Amino acid sequence: MKQLGPLSIAGAAGVAALLLPLVGSDYAVSFSIQLLIFLVLAYSWNWIGGYAGYTHFGQVSFFGIGAYVGSLLIFHWNLPWYLAAIVAGLAGAVTAIPLGGAMLRLKGPFFAIGMFGLARVLEAFALGFDSITHGGTGIYLKPLGDLRPLYYIVAAVAAIMLLATWKLDNSRLGLKLLAIREDENAAESLGIPTTRLKIGTFVASAIAPAAMGSLYAVYLGFIDPPTAFASNIELTTIAMVLLGGMGTVLGPLCGAVLLSIVNEVLWANYPQIYLASVGIIILLAVLFTPRGIVNLGMKSGWVAVGRPLFRRLAARAGQAS
Amino acid sequence: MPVAELLVGGILLGGVYALMACGLNLIFGVMRVINFAHGDILAIAALSTVSIAVGFKLPFWVAILAVPLGCAIFGALIHVLILRRIEGAPLIMSLLATYALSTILVNVAILIWGGGYSGLPGVLSGSVRLFGINVSISRLVSFLCALGVSLAVWWLLEFTRFGRAVRSVSRAPELASISGIAIERVRLVTFALGTAMAGLAGVLVAPAFAIDPQLGSRFIVKAFAVIIVGGMGSYPGAILAALILGVIEVVGSYFAGAVIGSAFLFLLMLGVLLIRPRGLLGAGIRV
Repeated sequence: MKQLGPLSIAGAAGVAALLLPLVGSDYAVSFSIQLLIFLVLAYSWNWIGGYAGYTHFGQVSFFGIGAYVGSLLIFHWNLPWYLAAIVAGLAGAVTAIPLGGAMLRLKGPFFAIGMFGLARVLEAFALGFDSITHGGTGIYLKPLGDLRPLYYIVAAVAAIMLLATWKLDNSRLGLKLLAIREDENAAESLGIPTTRLKIGTFVASAIAPAAMGSLYAVYLGFIDPPTAFASNIELTTIAMVLLGGMGTVLGPLCGAVLLSIVNEVLWANYPQIYLASVGIIILLAVLFTPRGIVNLGMKSGWVAVGRPLFRRLAARAGQAS
Repeated sequence: MPVAELLVGGILLGGVYALMACGLNLIFGVMRVINFAHGDILAIAALSTVSIAVGFKLPFWVAILAVPLGCAIFGALIHVLILRRIEGAPLIMSLLATYALSTILVNVAILIWGGGYSGLPGVLSGSVRLFGINVSISRLVSFLCALGVSLAVWWLLEFTRFGRAVRSVSRAPELASISGIAIERVRLVTFALGTAMAGLAGVLVAPAFAIDPQLGSRFIVKAFAVIIVGGMGSYPGAILAALILGVIEVVGSYFAGAVIGSAFLFLLMLGVLLIRPRGLLGAGIRV
């Protein structure tokens, strides 16, 4: 049986993504934009949560910051939405640098609680400082006439994230992050600059969510604090990575596609139980496939075990002995 | 500025926070699990109390007895079905499991009780004059019950055989196991006790606050703030911090409005996390 390599799967997905707006209905494009936004969020979360192993319950903070920065720029200065998204991404990075320096001194449950609390603080501020954010009323943006340009931009970002994760997975940098995940003290003692790498990963994983926040606001044509800092965005993102496989190249892709379809079906048919069922999916994944679908695939031989770097290193070690 | 009113209001609020945070802290100390669903258990307990008192027209004390008992059984089930099975797994698994559980509970509560606010009119209503200010009876009773139970559980932990077992499992599970302590049973009972405390806090919240299914998410971050400020795993720290944070929240809300007032708590929590992660009376628990 021929194994499926990460590149062949990614290539097939890429071709499908390029063709979709040409043949698909408006509904399909709209659904795909949501899927791709979550895909980008999932890949970003995978860097800090999957590779570096930090339980990050605050990614939605950057999503929300980006949503507000982007919306305010569009609302007040009529900036084109794609430029607003770039500025929002930069704003995400700029806030993540000091925040990462401070929060990453915390480990395990402390980091999780701190980031979880931070998202709630930001939501409270967005509600409270209503002279800037319009508080609970929200900010209304001019709706986009055609969603296809938005689709292509989000798809491009998703492709970049996938490629970057593939490069990361095959690099020494990726191995160093995995070392931090497994045992931070041991990694430090091996000379891995853990603090710098953690902060770098944290900042890198904040940029795309902030940009996505801005694009999401454009997509909805509206933003308010509960939408921008929604904990179900956080939950869905983490569920996607967990379901697909944390710390893998294809995990977020599989998880995002699968869960987006399941969510859409649930949302369309049983909107009352939609969020509860996302919770149940996470619970089941934690209990039964904690290593994700992709790892199941690797075990049963359907998906190639990636990391040519490992093979090269192993071959070199073999020659030396 | 009505200093006395604010102080008393804050301390009364702190009592409920103490009871809730103590349960959360107990669970963390023994199991190293952050129970994100703790607040939602409180919310469901509060909503059940309303159903018992208003829906079934039973007296309030029935809820005080039945709801914590039900929560304890529910907690035991969660432990057996979920948490015990992921005991050796990385921390992220238990965090995700309780986070998911929290989402499930909120949405089930919305399905059962609807999304709106409810309350307990007529139960423990009225007010008394204390130290020259008016204090509502419901808040006073819930404060006294909450603080009483928190102190009783503290006594249980410090001075009984069971408490010694709990503390030894929390410090060194392997050694406790070697010494013949049935650590699985201790964990089960601890988790059930912790959820029962959340349940009782919910019952006590019902007459004093407007309650809805989202109540849990508002309380859980405050309980987090309490156990971080007090020191994770430190029981007296949680009680002390709960009272302090209750006052800070009430004073902050008075000056800056309710939304920003509760944000003060999180900012304080973040500050403590960054400057003194072990908290006021922290035991320096290793994770």
